[in-house]
Amino acid sequence: MRSVNLRLKRKMNEVFSIEPNELGVNFLTSHFKKLTAYLKVAPFIYIIPLTFILAIFLYFVLGRFLIKLVTVLQYGF
Amino acid sequence: MDFKKILVDFLTSFLIVCNRSIGLILDPYKIMRKISLEKDYWQPGIIISLIFIYFKFIYYLREKMYPATFIYVSFIINFLLTIIFFYFLAKVLSKNKKEINFPSFLFTFSYSLLPTLIWFLSTSILFIFLPPPRTLSLLGKGFSVFFITYSLSLLAWKIILVYLAIRFSAKQNFFRIFYMVALYLSWFIPYSIFLYNFKLFRIPFI
Repeated sequence: MRSVNLRLKRKMNEVFSIEPNELGVNFLTSHFKKLTAYLKVAPFIYIIPLTFILAIFLYFVLGRFLIKLVTVLQYGF
Repeated sequence: MDFKKILVDFLTSFLIVCNRSIGLILDPYKIMRKISLEKDYWQPGIIISLIFIYFKFIYYLREKMYPATFIYVSFIINFLLTIIFFYFLAKVLSKNKKEINFPSFLFTFSYSLLPTLIWFLSTSILFIFLPPPRTLSLLGKGFSVFFITYSLSLLAWKIILVYLAIRFSAKQNFFRIFYMVALYLSWFIPYSIFLYNFKLFRIPFI
């Protein structure tokens, strides 16, 4: 029982190690929390489709420049 | 006997690093919170050693490059400068200065190097199999879109990990983290250009 209490206490300390994020305005705080909830668990489910759409958009906007950018990035390591 | 203990500690930490690397993909918030309370110094040691192996590997790929150890030392200086900057800034901004501790910064920022390491390593491997320049053919365009998607995804992961690293180590709110990063970039961008001029890093490894 004592070990369970200790583990619970340790878990509580871990969870409450930081204060909740308050952005000053309730509207902003609630939207921030809704948005970040998607990024806290398995963010790649949202990141990969979004970045793919962004890459396609960049290709249509930048055209040849995007191909040159990839060439530069491939030399960037 | 001592060697056996060191080996067991090392292997355990290596498995934890592997486990947490996958955890940072699947559940970054929870795992970064655990990392911020970590006390096993083998873990940042393993990540930083992997980076040394990476620098040794690319030494044979790039032309007219400085020795791998020199590049590695300059990376360590960049890394320490970054951690020390955020640590002192957090000390200044925090109300409860006792809760800010340096090891927490070391652990979280070490793990936040994983997207950087993966991007640099994969780009150098792609350099061998699909060397630039890219062409305007259909395959060239397709690869370019894929590469940009891949790079942006890793960049987004990096931003999430750096944000969480500062959040759990500095224990600040969103706006303060934003100001801290803006202050950091105000000296880090000119510093990166300086490193670029000396051909140390084409893209800063941080």
